[in-house]
Amino acid sequence: MTCPENFGYHEPQWCPGCGNFDILPCVKEALCGLGMNAQDFIMVTGIGQASKLGFSVKCNLFNGLHGRALPAATGMNMANHKVKLISVSGDGDYYGEGGNHFIHAARRNLNVAVFAGDNRVYGLTKGQASPTSSPEFVTPIHPEGVGAKPVNPVLLALASGATFVARAFSGDKPELTGLMRQAIEHKGFALVDIMSPCITFNKINTFGWFKARARPVGPEHDPASFDAAIKLASGGSETIPTGLIYKADRPPFDARFSALKGEPIARRSAGYAPERARPLFEKYK
Amino acid sequence: MKHINIVIAGAAGQGVQSAGEILGKTLLRLGYHVFIAHDYQSRVRGGHNFMSVRFAGEPLSASVRQADYLLALNEESIGLRLGGLKAEGLAFCLEEDKGAQTDPRLRALPGPVGPAAAKGDKFAAVKLVSMLFAVLGFPPEVLAASVNKIFEGRLKPEVLQANLDVVAAVSGFIGARDVRWPDFTPAPSAGRMLVSGNDAVALGMVAAGVGVYSGYPITPSTSILDVLGTAGPGLGIAVEQAEDEIAALNLAIGASYAGARAACGSSGPGLSLMAEAIGLAGITETPVVIYDGQRAGPAIGMATRTEQGDLLSLVHSSHGEFPRAVISPATHEDSFYLAAEAFNVADAWQVPVFLVNDLGQAGCERTLEEFDVSRVRIDRGLIAPEPPAPDMFARYAVTGSGVSPRAVPGLSRWLVSCDSHEHDEYGHLTDNAANRVRQHSKRMRKLDGMAAAFPGPEIINPCHKVCVIAWGSTVGPLLEAAPLLKEKGIDFSVAVFRYLYPLDPAKVVPALKGFPRLVTLEQNYSGQLGKLLRMECGVETQGHISKYDGRILTVDDVVELLGAGLGGKL
Repeated sequence: MTCPENFGYHEPQWCPGCGNFDILPCVKEALCGLGMNAQDFIMVTGIGQASKLGFSVKCNLFNGLHGRALPAATGMNMANHKVKLISVSGDGDYYGEGGNHFIHAARRNLNVAVFAGDNRVYGLTKGQASPTSSPEFVTPIHPEGVGAKPVNPVLLALASGATFVARAFSGDKPELTGLMRQAIEHKGFALVDIMSPCITFNKINTFGWFKARARPVGPEHDPASFDAAIKLASGGSETIPTGLIYKADRPPFDARFSALKGEPIARRSAGYAPERARPLFEKYK
Repeated sequence: MKHINIVIAGAAGQGVQSAGEILGKTLLRLGYHVFIAHDYQSRVRGGHNFMSVRFAGEPLSASVRQADYLLALNEESIGLRLGGLKAEGLAFCLEEDKGAQTDPRLRALPGPVGPAAAKGDKFAAVKLVSMLFAVLGFPPEVLAASVNKIFEGRLKPEVLQANLDVVAAVSGFIGARDVRWPDFTPAPSAGRMLVSGNDAVALGMVAAGVGVYSGYPITPSTSILDVLGTAGPGLGIAVEQAEDEIAALNLAIGASYAGARAACGSSGPGLSLMAEAIGLAGITETPVVIYDGQRAGPAIGMATRTEQGDLLSLVHSSHGEFPRAVISPATHEDSFYLAAEAFNVADAWQVPVFLVNDLGQAGCERTLEEFDVSRVRIDRGLIAPEPPAPDMFARYAVTGSGVSPRAVPGLSRWLVSCDSHEHDEYGHLTDNAANRVRQHSKRMRKLDGMAAAFPGPEIINPCHKVCVIAWGSTVGPLLEAAPLLKEKGIDFSVAVFRYLYPLDPAKVVPALKGFPRLVTLEQNYSGQLGKLLRMECGVETQGHISKYDGRILTVDDVVELLGAGLGGKL
């Protein structure tokens, strides 16, 4: 069996042509490229079609609530700062229902690789607007268009303190796989926003629409420059830069805790005895 | 019971807390038993706050209304609080706050007494405490040592010295003829501690081996974050202030899945936000302890006031059906031991466990003997043996008890899938009907096991015609009021419920059936425990005596409420 096949699990149930079919093999290729084993990481997913990717990878999986993958991942990091965390979900989950958590996980610089399948529509609930839908997007709820300005995931991540911010297109698998590898290796909050078509419910942002606009960033872009990243991410929608947009070194969340040095709490706490409370009693005497 | 009750009153920020801290710690060190109740508003400056510091030669479990001494930190407090001072009591204030008051019980400290450096509001608390101590005949050196211990490092050295000089100067000002010795003696004990209910809960969590704790600041539960956060670096506990309560519980669930003993804490408003994640813990069968320090009212209600209004909402919180446990400490001592035991319940049954206090117990401080850590046991429940090679784990294997062995992802070779959807034995989502029945009934069976494992009510002073049923912070004042009511011919039994859900009719019904009349005494409008007893055990109560003004239940309240509610002599 080849390495990617080792991660094979349940057959995914997406529509034929769904961008998620392209994202799934990239996840497995990235894991294989890094020589990771299934027991080395935990996949933390939310709710939505993008999140269902987790069921098709043979690994540790925590499939939590809609929007709440990142708080759960924060707890996992605190219990075991040595296990790698990979979170997979969609635009509605990360930027809508879980928007507050996305901001705070980024500012904490939680050590997590976030793969956001961003198809600019709600697929699982059959075609409502998402936080990244364009103002002109028409749905039965929004017959006159969404109107609201879409969330720019790259700008949001940059403004919130993410230390690895990338954008990819599901149609460019080599680029996506490479970015996923880098994101998993990164020590801190790493976002890969993956533009991905929903062939059933988004007739505007189609495979062709994304393909025509996705432009890999050239060597002239310096991902160490915050200003350059902001500028690049602030461009219009005629071309959308893909690739590594920003990367910085900042201590990850767990580095803040002296309790999270050495062995993980999950392992150490097996030795915690009730006696450890006793020194605290003195303060109350 | 012979006791002395001191009321300290002033505006927020004037030093009510400091005066209470000095008094409480010093009385503790003198060997007295102490009970401190706080009555404060949701504001940082101004308004009217007060605190009662009660001390005696024997253990105290409640506050009383009438004051023997009043320390008034401003003029307004004299007017507001003199009415609650006994006729033979004394009130202390600074000369500048005396105003037009002519009450003979008022003793004003002249401005010139004390060092020149000790002028203004900041020294009022220590001045009035010094007056009180001198009147009680306590040696000023004890008070000075206490002030030094509490404020060393917190105050600049010259300010601390000015405080110490105040103690000496004011003590000299009170003449020997004014001394009124307490008419009871202290009962010193080396291990005695002065703790709030929240302190006891936090210490119990430490004893239980908590590894991860999260919360969002809220009255009255924030101090648990403070205690655990401060202890965390030294003890290997990771504590995080979450962005909201939704995150706080999801974080704790994630931590528990990854192998730590995990808990989060809040009050009613936060518990409402956590509702969806409570169900997540239920269906993923993830052990987690959720602390609810109840406060008054829905929405924001009265943020700094107490109530026992959350019980039924905790029993039903979140959509769908799943097992959970509700445990409520009836005393400060319970708060320690039951906080520790809550983790064993969570691990044994792999359920969310609510540990429920109320502001009246969470924030009140009392003395008790040092917690006996040898009474705490740590049992992590069923853990699966390791496989020879990595493989998918049947996390939700169907068992008779409903409890399936766990494995810790990242530490084990097992690959552990936990799913918020209905799922099969391997944690894979499915809406298959037969599987749904298998998994749902497996989870729900845990309720029967828990109910059978939990102790029934404690019956105190048995064999009377009336049994008063109580839980949480109601129990302390109720038990202290019982001998006072007996003197009035009102004698009754008490049933104390600590394990509130699930209830086992096989334990509850026999415990209560001998009483012709069952009456609940709860700090809520509707008698929630009474309703729960009827719903779960078919027990009919014959009356509910309620208090829901948000104020901490005193011994006097219970005497009045039961005196009226039980209809005279029994």
